[in-house]
Amino acid sequence: MILVILWLIQDFLTVFAGGMQIPGLFMLGVVCKLLFNESSDGNLYLIWTAFAGGILWDLRWIGIPGFFTIGNVIVVLIVIQIWGAIPPQGRISGTGWLVFMLMSISQLIPPMLPVLILGGNTGWEFFLMRQAYSLPAILITMYFFNRKMKEKTV
Amino acid sequence: MNINTTREWVHGLTALILGLFLLGISSGLGIVKNIVDIWSAFLSVPEYPAVIMREMFLNWRAWSRDKDFLNVEVTKLREENANLRLELSKMTGEKIYSDDKQKNESKTARVTLRAPMSWWNEIRIDKGEIDKITQGIPVYHDGYLIGRISSVSKMSSWAELITSPSFMIPAVIEETRELGVVVGDGSGTVLLRYIPAGRGGRNGMKVSTAMIGEELPPGLPIGKISNEMTTGSDGYATYKIELGADLSRFYTVSY
Repeated sequence: MILVILWLIQDFLTVFAGGMQIPGLFMLGVVCKLLFNESSDGNLYLIWTAFAGGILWDLRWIGIPGFFTIGNVIVVLIVIQIWGAIPPQGRISGTGWLVFMLMSISQLIPPMLPVLILGGNTGWEFFLMRQAYSLPAILITMYFFNRKMKEKTV
Repeated sequence: MNINTTREWVHGLTALILGLFLLGISSGLGIVKNIVDIWSAFLSVPEYPAVIMREMFLNWRAWSRDKDFLNVEVTKLREENANLRLELSKMTGEKIYSDDKQKNESKTARVTLRAPMSWWNEIRIDKGEIDKITQGIPVYHDGYLIGRISSVSKMSSWAELITSPSFMIPAVIEETRELGVVVGDGSGTVLLRYIPAGRGGRNGMKVSTAMIGEELPPGLPIGKISNEMTTGSDGYATYKIELGADLSRFYTVSY
């Protein structure tokens, strides 16, 4: 449910910003869920949630389904593999940079595919602007992630 | 690799292949356009507050930033308009029409989709049948023609842009009254073709729609001639047109 709300908030903000690229809140939510998730079924659910979220985003803002769909799934697979390679004990502390990197990947890959495939200087400008806007969103998400992680370990 | 990891890979790769398949087949399918329209119509409900908030924000910003400048500009344009109407009435012998009739004629629509694959060909706007949009009516930005409505659905419409290669309309050079055809090249350039060559420079001359067109009314401003591109062996030249409207920065259109 939270992911549906995040998707709608992202869409709402994009409309408010006049179609400008805003941070991928939906994918930040998916990555957070993946980082806290410990079951394989949960991972499968998140793969298909990211897929569905991507299709709906493509239909609303790109006009051709596939771009964000593929990007979202790639991000989920990367996060599952990297996070899964760390033993549960090691996930509690000392993973700040890793979490930051995983969240950054979620903002980097999905919007990069349309630019790489369709090209154009305007596309790159929008892409770079989105990366700049994403940084505060990533830092805020990391703050909440750390707080929840601490609550979990206490 | 344990069974769980294998399942995750299988699901992930299936999703990827499905995504690639969709990307490969959907760009040429008309049904995708219908799905896009239906999905956008559905989302227009939760998006409505954002639209209102954006309009309020833009109005407030425009008001606070440009109030004085706009006032001066509006006064100047009103005077110019009144003088032109006076001139026109003298030339044609017609009565000066009422201002009130013109005031509410132009309505504004928001651009809701401009797909990258057809960036210079078409846009979708948030007004449709219920807003009395009909196929073929002209669409403007900043008072200049930028396209015409190509298809209409209940709550949205698609407009073909002037830069589209299939958008061909008769046009006239206002200063010389020479007729030609305005056509886009599909990558942002608009050309004026079939103008007799060798009759002096035409740079900076204004181009508007011609009276011989059936679909669009005459006299709609398009832009001005920027430079001559080619002269064919048949004695006709092709000119590049600098559009009056900026097609790289428009979020709303009027119709």
